[in-house]
Amino acid sequence: MATKSGNATALTVLSPIKNGILNQVSFADITRERCLRLPIHEKSPLSKVPNTYLARLFILDDVYYESLPANDKVFNFSDITSLFSDSARKKALPRKDHLKSKYLVFSSSFYGDLDEYLRGMWDNWSYVDHEGNQRDVRHIWEYCVAFDRVTDSAGFIHYIKRCQLDASLFFNGSTDDSLQDQLKALYLKQEFTRFAVEHQGKGAAEIQQAFKAFIERAQPENLASPTWPPGKSTP
Amino acid sequence: MTQQLDLSDIQGNVIKAYGRYNFQKARYLFLRIDDGEKGRKFIGAITTKVTSALPWGKPGDGSAPPIPQATTNVAFTFNGLQALEIPTASQRGFPEDFIMGMAKRKDILGDDGPSDPANWDKVWKEKVHVWISINGQSIDAVKKRYDWIQEQIEASNGGVVLLTGHRGEKGEDSLPYQDASVLYDATGMPVPKEHFGYTDGIGDPVFEGQTNVAARVLGRGKLMRDGTWLPLATGEFLLGHVDEAMEYPKTAPSPWLLAHNGTFMVYRKLHENVGTFNRFLDEQSQIFDGSKEMLAAKFAGRWRDNGAPVVHAPDDVGKAEWDRRYAAADDAGKKKMLTDFTYNEDIHGAKCPFSAHLRRINPRGSLEFGVSNAYDTPGALVNRRRILRRGLPYGEVKDPARDDGNHGIIFMALNADIQRQFEFVQQQWINYANDFKEGNDKEVLLGNHDANNPGKVVLAAEPGSGKPPHFVSNIPRLVETRGGDYFFIPSITALKLIAGGIVDPT
Repeated sequence: MATKSGNATALTVLSPIKNGILNQVSFADITRERCLRLPIHEKSPLSKVPNTYLARLFILDDVYYESLPANDKVFNFSDITSLFSDSARKKALPRKDHLKSKYLVFSSSFYGDLDEYLRGMWDNWSYVDHEGNQRDVRHIWEYCVAFDRVTDSAGFIHYIKRCQLDASLFFNGSTDDSLQDQLKALYLKQEFTRFAVEHQGKGAAEIQQAFKAFIERAQPENLASPTWPPGKSTP
Repeated sequence: MTQQLDLSDIQGNVIKAYGRYNFQKARYLFLRIDDGEKGRKFIGAITTKVTSALPWGKPGDGSAPPIPQATTNVAFTFNGLQALEIPTASQRGFPEDFIMGMAKRKDILGDDGPSDPANWDKVWKEKVHVWISINGQSIDAVKKRYDWIQEQIEASNGGVVLLTGHRGEKGEDSLPYQDASVLYDATGMPVPKEHFGYTDGIGDPVFEGQTNVAARVLGRGKLMRDGTWLPLATGEFLLGHVDEAMEYPKTAPSPWLLAHNGTFMVYRKLHENVGTFNRFLDEQSQIFDGSKEMLAAKFAGRWRDNGAPVVHAPDDVGKAEWDRRYAAADDAGKKKMLTDFTYNEDIHGAKCPFSAHLRRINPRGSLEFGVSNAYDTPGALVNRRRILRRGLPYGEVKDPARDDGNHGIIFMALNADIQRQFEFVQQQWINYANDFKEGNDKEVLLGNHDANNPGKVVLAAEPGSGKPPHFVSNIPRLVETRGGDYFFIPSITALKLIAGGIVDPT
């Protein structure tokens, strides 16, 4: 399955969480609470990770799988199981299956190359948690299996790639332009709408003057600034 | 054979907009039930006067009831049904929106700022259980029925309380009822207008089982691929019937008889900021390429004077032509001109803006945006979002330059599914515009425009005309919610079950 669509990449990561308990709370539940308590919008650590279109974190508790009865050509064995003893009948029933551990799922749709994106995550993921502590990306993955061996960005890239699933969950509400491009476009669209409203009905010369000033202020070629801040949801 | 409705079982206000039958006055009462048994007895007494949907005959016609001087209809909030002690198993069948009630749905409805429930009429801080409406051919007929209802309340011996707390004309805030009335012109003739001056209530939906459907369905039913109109499925407006998805409602109370032929009603008291509207229209028309009336028409999708649809009368010249044709048309032709239109020739919104009231509440197949066969039928995204509108203006505009006072519309929306129909239209089409490709532009008249972040709408220009679009900006909050709740309008059979204490979900 393709994880690239143009310049956009879809990353799906399943990191197994250690089976175990700390202070009477399971590692999975500690991790879940850390995810649920992440700040949102501009304060989200993901707003600081360059080129993130949309990302989400959740805990996968289990995937209950029940296999279907075999479909034979002549008849289904399960159709006649009532003729047999209860134990024989139960043995013929579909098998069920569970996951061996719980997983931290990270799904992100972003612009550009995977290694560079993951390096950006390692370097830039930061936030202040609800108790006022400064946190980095290790806080979320702390109780994942073997994550204690990750000590630098190269290790993080290697670790995440080991956990990568070949799935293409793209964010439909985005183009495949860089985030900076898209945020600048969003900013310009709103500013230009405001400009059009404010100068409606004015003379051509006046509008031209004002437009020059607008271009000078809005700097369409300058992607860095002024622009719409990543993660910001309302004006 | 086509669907036949049990008109003697359905409450009259579901099928009839009483205003069209010369009922010019209305009074709405809200009551609390303090004792289940006494409350049921009271409902039983009221039920004897409840008006059904049977057609009214002409005088001397013995086969149909004559038109009454006053009508009476009844509905309940979820708390009201609990107070009347319907079985818990029946209560559980009601949908979430109805159980929560309107005030708790404020985030969905956009009832914020001046529309916040904290600013509603005092009566909405009470426990509202029962709604009783009286529509009268005269105020005397209304008062007579009101007096009779008061006698029934007294006879309930404390079981039922008439709630006070409605704002009134003279600055009162504790009236025991909400009055409403058609507006009158300078000569005292009733006119189908509201306080902003728009002609109201032209294109209510038409559904299967209504009488005389063929003559009324144009522009009011569902638009088919071949351009014809068919009545909407009955189940969009009445429980116990199949809806546009060919399904019975997924959430309905049991037993069947409790839900069958009933529906849900959204009651809203909407205050109109007349002074702000008049000032805003004056200011905006100064910079608009067209008359003030043309701009007012662009806000609503219809011209104020006669309801001419803007899509067929897009500017001052077009309106003059439309008026000439209208004057020459016979009665049936006039009705057709008012309702029979689509936006197929206006997919860019250059005639009727996307943010006009009319286009937002009933896009008439225009959500295909000119893509041929985008959906099964042109109206596929619209047919499940229709609402029956009932209600009348209330109050009087004493000074057209002022907002304060007590004047607006008692708006009632009837539908089988409040969340899917009324709330969707309010949230997605009135207060948001993604479906219309207009970002977050709100509908001009009803949108919950925010003073701190004022909105705009675009009046698009015809592509290739070389004209610029017109922006209407800094739109103030023109309409504010002053109260309301969600009600269940049972069938007359269900009223008798409730009154008799014999609702049996087993």
